Amino acid sequence: MKKWVSFIVALCLLIGLALYSMSTGSIQIGFGELVHGLIVGDNPQVDVIRDLRLPRIFVAMLSGAALAVSGVLLQSVMRNPLADAGVIGISAGAGFASLIVTAVFPALFFFNPLFSVIGGLFACFLVYLFSWKSGLQPLRLLLVGVAINAMFTGFNQVFSSFGSSSSSAGRTAISTFNMQTWQNVDILLIYVGIALILSVFLATWCNMLALQDRTASNLGLNVMRSRIVISLIAVILASVATAVGGLIVFVGLLVPHIARQFVGSDHRILIPFSAVGGAVLILFADTLGRTIIAPIEIPASVIMMIIGGPFLIFMLLKGDRVYGR
Amino acid sequence: MDVNKLQFQYHNSGPIIRDLSTSITAGKITTIIGPNGSGKSTLLSLLAKNLQPTAGQIVLSGRDLQQFTHKELARQLAVVHQQNEAPIDLTVEKLVEFGRLPYRHLFSSETKEDHEAVAWALDCTQLTPLRKSKLVELSGGQRQRAWIAMALAQKTNLLILDEPTTYLDIYYQIELLELVRSLNERLGLTIVMVLHDVNQAVRYSDEIKVMKQGQVWAEGEPKKIISSELMQLVYDVQAVIREDEEAGFYVVPLAAKLAD
Repeated sequence: MKKWVSFIVALCLLIGLALYSMSTGSIQIGFGELVHGLIVGDNPQVDVIRDLRLPRIFVAMLSGAALAVSGVLLQSVMRNPLADAGVIGISAGAGFASLIVTAVFPALFFFNPLFSVIGGLFACFLVYLFSWKSGLQPLRLLLVGVAINAMFTGFNQVFSSFGSSSSSAGRTAISTFNMQTWQNVDILLIYVGIALILSVFLATWCNMLALQDRTASNLGLNVMRSRIVISLIAVILASVATAVGGLIVFVGLLVPHIARQFVGSDHRILIPFSAVGGAVLILFADTLGRTIIAPIEIPASVIMMIIGGPFLIFMLLKGDRVYGR
Repeated sequence: MDVNKLQFQYHNSGPIIRDLSTSITAGKITTIIGPNGSGKSTLLSLLAKNLQPTAGQIVLSGRDLQQFTHKELARQLAVVHQQNEAPIDLTVEKLVEFGRLPYRHLFSSETKEDHEAVAWALDCTQLTPLRKSKLVELSGGQRQRAWIAMALAQKTNLLILDEPTTYLDIYYQIELLELVRSLNERLGLTIVMVLHDVNQAVRYSDEIKVMKQGQVWAEGEPKKIISSELMQLVYDVQAVIREDEEAGFYVVPLAAKLAD
C-alpha cells in the first residue's frame, strides 16, 4: 500500500534526522566515534552528548509527536481543520497551570504534568462552552480559541514577570529545549507514550465523527462519550508536551494537514503518520535552531511561529475542504 | 414500531410534536408528508433517536427506544439523512464498510460476514462497478445510493430515509424511489421516509401519514386519504385529484387558497 510506504519513508527520515542531530552541534563528532563512545563509555565528549543532547532530542521528538496527534484528535472531535492546541489556548492553559505550580509549589515538580493537564482541560472546556451553541462552527470556534489563548498567555506573562528570579518558571513561556534531562524524557515517555497508544485505538471513533454526529450515532456510536474521551486524550498530549517542552504553536495544525495530503483522512493511518511527522518537524526545528547561527540558539517555538503563521493564512485562504457533501 | 403520546419541544419554543400516537406497519413503505414546519422531519429524528422525546415513548420490537444502546439500535434501524458529509477522499466501499461498525468492537477486525454484507449492499444499490470511486466524484443520485448502501450494510429490518430525493434531478428522484420500492419488495424492509412531493408519496407508498402542526392529521392508504379537502386543510391549496389509466392517481395543485 502506498500509504504505508509513506509511513515507512517518514520513519526513516525521522531516524536519519535523529542520527544527524546527535552528531551535530557545539561538539562535532564522527558518527562511528559516537556509537563507539555510547557503547564503551570512555569518551568524555560522548558523555556530554548523552547527558545533554540526547534527552533534548528525545524531548523534541516526543513533544512533536504529542502535539501533532493532539491536533489530529482535536480536529476530528471539533470537526474543524484549524483546531490546534496551541492556537485555541489549550497549551496556554496548560502552561499557565504548570507555571503556577512551578512558582508556588516547586516541590510538586514531579506532578507538574498532572496540573498542566488540569489547566489544559479547563481551557478546552471554556472553548467548548462558548462555541457549542453555534454547533462548533469553525470560524467561531477559532475566534473563541484565540480569545482564550490571549487570556492565558496574558496570565502567563504576568506570572513570568513575577517569578523571573526563579530560573525555570519562565521556561514554559518560550521553549528552547535546552536544559532537558533524562527525567523529562521519562515523564514524556510515560504520559505521552500511553496517550499515543490509546489514540491509535480511537481512530475508528474519529473516522465515525467525520460523518456528522447524527450519522455516527445511527451507526451505533455514543457521540457524547467518544467526544469526551477523544478530547481528554488530546488535552493530555498537548498539556504534557507543554509542561515539559514549553509552548509550541502550529504543530497540530501543520502536521495533520500535510499528513492528510500523503495518507488521506483515515485516522487509522493518519494518527501514526502524524506522530512521526510531528517528531520530524520539531526535531528539525530544534536542530536548525541550535546550529544555524551557533552559538546563539533560536528556540524551536520561535521557528514554528515563523513557519506556522504564514501557513495558517495559507490554509484560511485555501478554505481547506476536508469534508465534502 | 409504535408511537405513544409522543411530545417534543425545544427549550425555548412551543411544542413541535403534540401528543402524537401512531404506528408503523412492518414490511410496508410508510411516507410522512406535510407542509414545512409541520414536524415531519422532527418526527423522523425522534424515530431515529437523533432527538429524545419530551414525553411519550416510541416502542420498537416491544422495547422502548430509550432503552436501546446506540449499538443495539444500529442493528435494528438504519437511517439515511437528507444532507450528508464525508471526508473528501472517502471511497464508496469505505463508506459502506461503516455500516458494519454496529457489529464490531473497538479491537475486532473485519470478518467474512462483514465482507459479504458490504458486497451485497453494493450489489443491491448497483454500485459494485463504482466501489473504488470517491464519493465526491459521483453524481448526486449515485452518492445518495452510496449512503443507502451503507445503511443496508447494517442489515436492519427498518430503514428510515429523510427526504431522500430533495437535492436530486427528476431522473435520479425516480431512480431512487424505484430502488426504495425494490428494496421493500425484494427484502421485505420496513421503510419510513419523508417526502415533499405528494404525487411521489402517493405512487411509492403503501401508507401515508399527513402531518400538520405536530400531529398526524390523516393516515392510511394513499388513494383513500388524499382528497381536495385534505389538500386545502393541510396545505392551504386548491387542488384537483384525478385518476387515469396511464398516469394513475395524481394531484394537481391549482392555486394557493386566498384568505377569506
